[in-house]
Amino acid sequence: MKTAQAGTVESMDCLVTVSEAEPGTGIALTLAGSSVARFSRAMEKAVRATLGELKINDMTVLVQDNGALDIVLKARVEAAVSRLNGGEEA
Amino acid sequence: MRLRRTMLYLPGNNPNMLLRGHLFNPDGLVLDLEDAVAVREKDAARILIRDVLKRGEFGSCEVTVRINGLDTEYWRKDLEALVPLGRLDGVRAPKVDDAATVKQLDEALSEIESKAGLEVGRTKIFCLLETARGIFNTYDIATASPRVTAVIPGGEDLTADLRTNRSPEGTELEGIRRNVIVAARAAGVDALDTVFPRITDDEGLRKETSFIKQLGFDGKSVIHPNQIPIIHEVFTPTEKEIERAQKIIAAAKEAAERGLGAVQVDGRMVDAPVVKRALFTLTRAGLLEEGQDNA
Repeated sequence: MKTAQAGTVESMDCLVTVSEAEPGTGIALTLAGSSVARFSRAMEKAVRATLGELKINDMTVLVQDNGALDIVLKARVEAAVSRLNGGEEA
Repeated sequence: MRLRRTMLYLPGNNPNMLLRGHLFNPDGLVLDLEDAVAVREKDAARILIRDVLKRGEFGSCEVTVRINGLDTEYWRKDLEALVPLGRLDGVRAPKVDDAATVKQLDEALSEIESKAGLEVGRTKIFCLLETARGIFNTYDIATASPRVTAVIPGGEDLTADLRTNRSPEGTELEGIRRNVIVAARAAGVDALDTVFPRITDDEGLRKETSFIKQLGFDGKSVIHPNQIPIIHEVFTPTEKEIERAQKIIAAAKEAAERGLGAVQVDGRMVDAPVVKRALFTLTRAGLLEEGQDNA
């Protein structure tokens, strides 16, 4: 299974790990980190919105959060997906 | 004129700094895609900076990005991702050696601005002169495009190219700084000084800033927020200087009203250059709106 990562676990950042999933299995999202208890719904919405914009229906996503704002979470998801797709290196 | 006393470098892959940098109130920001970002993180940093620019919360800071060098494969992607957003005031280009490099960058910017429906020419160019060739060609570089708004001598790279190193006294950069000032003024662009690398040496920073201010520099690049208030303090006119400037402006205004060419203030003749300097003092003191001193 192909996997890619983007981000860090530094303050105000998050480490996003994405893996390919079988077609039809949908988005499997795991959120970890101290702020998840309070912000899990907003975080899930941000991740799903970003994947939607990238037209991705099936993917396993793990977010290790250290206080990332929405825009950072979205940027990290996009970078991880781009890397998974073998996108342009750098 | 726009104040550029301090332009703070922010590492391009660091959300914490990118989102909070403007809170330290520098005059400008340099979101850095070059040396502060590892090669394998260029892609993620570019996406992050793009989204931070889209959000657009930078207070009153002038917002620029240090792109990757024109000798790399990244610089065009940097521009294509960021310039179309219409939020960048300028790009800081590393290792500018000659006028041809500026022209190449100018053409790429025009193409991208035009495609994005932006006013062509709106993105300014800040040139980092990091080689002996770059310093030697300063005037040609500064006049290679109307977009060029500032020239900035390098520190580490430049001294390495000169086969020396940076000393606390800055002996190796002294002649270079003087040359850059003359070329910048001749070309009508700002001269911004290189970073002061010893971030805990406040006295050293104050001394170097006083020196470059006296040479005529407009400001300095900054690598740590703690350096900002010290540089601003050095560049901010004293009460006495402000008072004298206000007297000069008042006297010049009165002279103009009475149809006189020159007047005296405190026993010194006040003519056009003196008035210009007084207006500049008040601008630096924040007592004139930017642009008001062009009158």
